[in-house]
Amino acid sequence: MATAAPEAVRIDLGDVQGDILRAYGNAYERTTYVFVGIDEPGRGREWLHGLVDRVTTAAPWADAGKPAHAMNVAFTAAGLRALGVPDRVLRTFSDEFLQGMAERAGLLGDTGDAAPARWERGFGTGEAHVLVTINALGPTELDAALAELRTEVVRHGLQIVSEQPAQLLPQSREHFGFADGFAQPAVEGVTDDKAVGGGVPLPHGTWRALAPGEFILGYPDEDTRVDPKRRLPNAPAAPLGKSGTYMVWRKLHQDVALFRRTVRDAAQRLDRDELLLRAKIVGRWDDGAPLVTHPDTQPDEFDGRAEGANDFLYERADGDGHRCPLGAHIRRSNPRDALGFEGRLSFRHRIIRRGMPYGDPLPPDALADDGADRGLVFVCFNASISRQFEGIQVQWLNDGNIFGLGHDRDYLLGGTNGGSMVIQGRPPDPPCYLAPQGPFVTTRAGEYLFVPGITALAAIADGVTG
Amino acid sequence: MSVATPTSAPTTATGTRGGNVDGQAIAITVFSTVKWWGRVVLPFVFVAPKVAPKTLTTLQRLSFIHFARWSLITQIPHNGAPQPETKLRYPHLYFESNFNGGWEEYIDAFSHILTTGMWTFWGSSYGFPKALPTGPFKAYIKANEMEASHFYSAYPEATTTEIKQAIELDPMVAELRERADRMTPEEFATAFAELMSEAQRCC
Repeated sequence: MATAAPEAVRIDLGDVQGDILRAYGNAYERTTYVFVGIDEPGRGREWLHGLVDRVTTAAPWADAGKPAHAMNVAFTAAGLRALGVPDRVLRTFSDEFLQGMAERAGLLGDTGDAAPARWERGFGTGEAHVLVTINALGPTELDAALAELRTEVVRHGLQIVSEQPAQLLPQSREHFGFADGFAQPAVEGVTDDKAVGGGVPLPHGTWRALAPGEFILGYPDEDTRVDPKRRLPNAPAAPLGKSGTYMVWRKLHQDVALFRRTVRDAAQRLDRDELLLRAKIVGRWDDGAPLVTHPDTQPDEFDGRAEGANDFLYERADGDGHRCPLGAHIRRSNPRDALGFEGRLSFRHRIIRRGMPYGDPLPPDALADDGADRGLVFVCFNASISRQFEGIQVQWLNDGNIFGLGHDRDYLLGGTNGGSMVIQGRPPDPPCYLAPQGPFVTTRAGEYLFVPGITALAAIADGVTG
Repeated sequence: MSVATPTSAPTTATGTRGGNVDGQAIAITVFSTVKWWGRVVLPFVFVAPKVAPKTLTTLQRLSFIHFARWSLITQIPHNGAPQPETKLRYPHLYFESNFNGGWEEYIDAFSHILTTGMWTFWGSSYGFPKALPTGPFKAYIKANEMEASHFYSAYPEATTTEIKQAIELDPMVAELRERADRMTPEEFATAFAELMSEAQRCC
């Protein structure tokens, strides 16, 4: 992990789509993900032509403030093919993107009820081509934007394959009841102010933001930021490789009643406080306060976005997992320095998460499933799906070996065979064991996508991709 | 310490060709052509008191790596007729390692943690681009890597980390078992809790 300061990189924000570097979940109340299928390249490109100028970029909002709705566009590999992008250009995209999420299901642990054969119609089959994400201030603005989109899709003879609405829940909680989305990576030149707790830990307790190329293609990444030869990381052939990124979209159903019953029963069996047990599973209290810094009780007030709220490491403060268990969800998915070597085994496996809950919440005290579909639309952006998203999912969440936890899967996500975990006890207290349960979370749909920069999007619409 | 679960092991051996995988383990085999001076320097590198032990200690801390072995090959072993005797014009560095986890993560660990060690071992090989940045280093290893014709793991679902933990745990359990016959149920409950408390540190 090189620490020498490279030249500052300026990101061309006007060429980058807006939902990558800015959390629209904080700015907009409603989101709908619309997957469109394209039968004929010419009609598809004509439709895209009309969209290009309306796609929201990352350029700072003018004095008038944020627009009533934001629109962003991404493509599956089948979608780029359907739009006429030639094979020789497609071959410059990453293997995992070209294969698609369904092909990688065995690796990702999407088996049994989560297998692609059981996914919702249109996913994992090559039918979903273009994802249009609409974020809107409220239902009126959302309906207007959706009506316009639907009309245009029909007018061009295209099909809507799927529409997935999502919306913020009160207090920014996800359905299990945890405040979510605090530990986002700090990006150099964009969110340097979030480096403490969100960037790369350095010796002597300081932090620095991550190189932008970890999340935006065409810019130096953590590998090349100090490369004297100024090589850039692998990216699709020009003009597609500049200002774009890869996107992971997963519809994750959550069995909230099962989670509540399981935690309640375990708390009774282990004679533990239920709130503390929930925190041990996740590594944060319900309000987001980290166990490393708040080990005993949930603080009266916690603002996860306040300065220093995420300023913690594991190795010295909690190497044995007495505060935050070694297998807690946040310690697995973002281990900081928990793997030793000052974080050098983990700093290249960061993702920008932009998930949003879908479905109505289960009433607060309900312990029986009401049959409603609810969960999280998991969205993340990264420059390398295999290194970043899949590295986290496959090596850290679906297996525990790297953490010395055998084959324990993440308890919160579980997967087909269920997760399990040990909650370390502070000697002389023995540890306690949460046996395989679940699955609390089941994948219902998913796609790997490419989010082009604005110039690249125009090139796709013009049919001049190389 | 982790409690073994009855579920089958997940897929974690990723990023390499099928012949290099058995269960949780990956084999990596790399040949590189060595410059003339490598033939002189490398034998010293292999035994150098300052370089090799430091690399070795770090390697041991990376418990997902079973072993890593570098050898200098000056001729192809001759097993008798009809195999012709082959003398190599250049010496070759033969690298062999087994590990758990993904291929990319393994090379990343070498690049970011054993940066100097990598140069020491491969610096005399033609085309070695340095261990950092990792992109060219990975491309170099891929280009010189050979798929195993036969790779076998006796315990395909086990990892070295688990085996090390089990070896550490075994005498602790044996010691309790030896004492257990003389204990009352209450004494056993206390002793068992103490064992669990102690054993959770096995890693």
